[in-house]
Amino acid sequence: MQSAPLPETLANLVGLDPNSTPVMILMSLVGAALIGTLMMTNTALAGPWAKRKITAAFTDRIAVNRIGPYGLFIIVADAVRLLSKELIVPDGVDRPAWDLAPLVIASTALLGFAVVPMGSGIHLADPEVGLAYVFATASMASVGLVMAGYASNNKYSFLGGLRAVAQNVAYEIPLILTGASVVIFTGSLQMSEIVAAQQQTLIGPLPSWYAFVNPFAFVLFMIANLAEVGRNPFDIPEAPTEIVAGYQTEYSSVYFVLVYLGEFIHIFLGGAIIATIFLGGPAGPGPASLGIVWFFIKIWGVFLFTQWARSAVPRVRIDQLIEIGWKGMLVLSLANLLLTAVIVGVIA
Amino acid sequence: MSNPWIAIGALAVVALAIPITMMAVSSLLRPRVPEQGKTATYESGEVPTGSSRQIKFNIQYYMVALLFVIFDIETVLIFPWTVIYRDAVGAVGMTKVLLPMVVFIGVLVVGLGWAWRNGAVRWVRSPRATKGADTYE
Repeated sequence: MQSAPLPETLANLVGLDPNSTPVMILMSLVGAALIGTLMMTNTALAGPWAKRKITAAFTDRIAVNRIGPYGLFIIVADAVRLLSKELIVPDGVDRPAWDLAPLVIASTALLGFAVVPMGSGIHLADPEVGLAYVFATASMASVGLVMAGYASNNKYSFLGGLRAVAQNVAYEIPLILTGASVVIFTGSLQMSEIVAAQQQTLIGPLPSWYAFVNPFAFVLFMIANLAEVGRNPFDIPEAPTEIVAGYQTEYSSVYFVLVYLGEFIHIFLGGAIIATIFLGGPAGPGPASLGIVWFFIKIWGVFLFTQWARSAVPRVRIDQLIEIGWKGMLVLSLANLLLTAVIVGVIA
Repeated sequence: MSNPWIAIGALAVVALAIPITMMAVSSLLRPRVPEQGKTATYESGEVPTGSSRQIKFNIQYYMVALLFVIFDIETVLIFPWTVIYRDAVGAVGMTKVLLPMVVFIGVLVVGLGWAWRNGAVRWVRSPRATKGADTYE
């Protein structure tokens, strides 16, 4: 299962020396471009097409079906349409912050994929602090949301930004503590080690994925992840029926695309974290070269789950959200951490 | 084994290049039709009054931010413990490894309980919102 990181594989492939630094920088850029393209393709598929189709299926409608097979070419049409819209700069926006916010939201989410092992040898980097790094990049998006909310000079945006902070602050800690309970099993923050630790079988045909070893932590993490990516029942920061569109109310044209894109990459990043630490990463039946297929099936599974929740679960109020986060999730995640420690201690 | 941070830096470059390219492409494609009134901020069709930065927001909520800082540092302290936990149990026994962390988390939980009783983890605690509730702490 353990394979060389992507830049090294690429260097060997084209016959260059993987020990020289300039070669590694070049190959890292090629690998990073590959990862970037891969994630952008997924987001393009999810945003303008899959999301509409899934929501339509839940609400008994048909959705996009006019352009191309199954309406797939709507992706191209939407990309051109959105990029060629006029960019309206509202009165009194805080200029550098207003322009930087979409950039921060989109690029920090993409940054997390550097350490995610996608299987079939596609694993850009494998630092020892992998899991801590991926949590750090995933939570950086909140900074972008605050910038967007404050700089827009719009009351809805401002309220949306404040709500986004309140929500991320309340669910960040349960998320990370539940992630830490997995580290108790593996004894390592390195992503490849976490995946390798889930290769044995548990009972019968069941693999020892941490979702099966510790289902309680898995459920907690899924809920906290919904709050982290801001989907129902925790879509308070956007709440279209209350505050228009929250922090993205004043964004048009390419900036809207970037904010929206960042949100979808963020959902996929959440899915990638869940797949890696709870669902065995790229593990699955068949040869190891199929790893990437299994990995993407898993993160699309998580995406489908967020869309399901979006269609089926009513939104909680902001005060309920705070209570669930601080009084429910935090206490449960601390209990989960200590319980896991006791169980591992008794077994070990 | 080369330094993994080279590859992470490369992805940082790509992650910035993709949005910037999109901005550049868009600036070539989009029209620019400056008109009066177009640039007003959206307030459901009303004429916007005042700046959004004058909103009076409940400052009581800073307590939750303080709580977050405390618990965030706590997670930073818990991470190294989780990494060595399994080996340490084998080396020095479970009580010696687990008990300090139980005490540490216990102290934090007492703190959370105190904040909870004081109504710090509540979205609104203005007199108007809670008028009539005399038992309200």
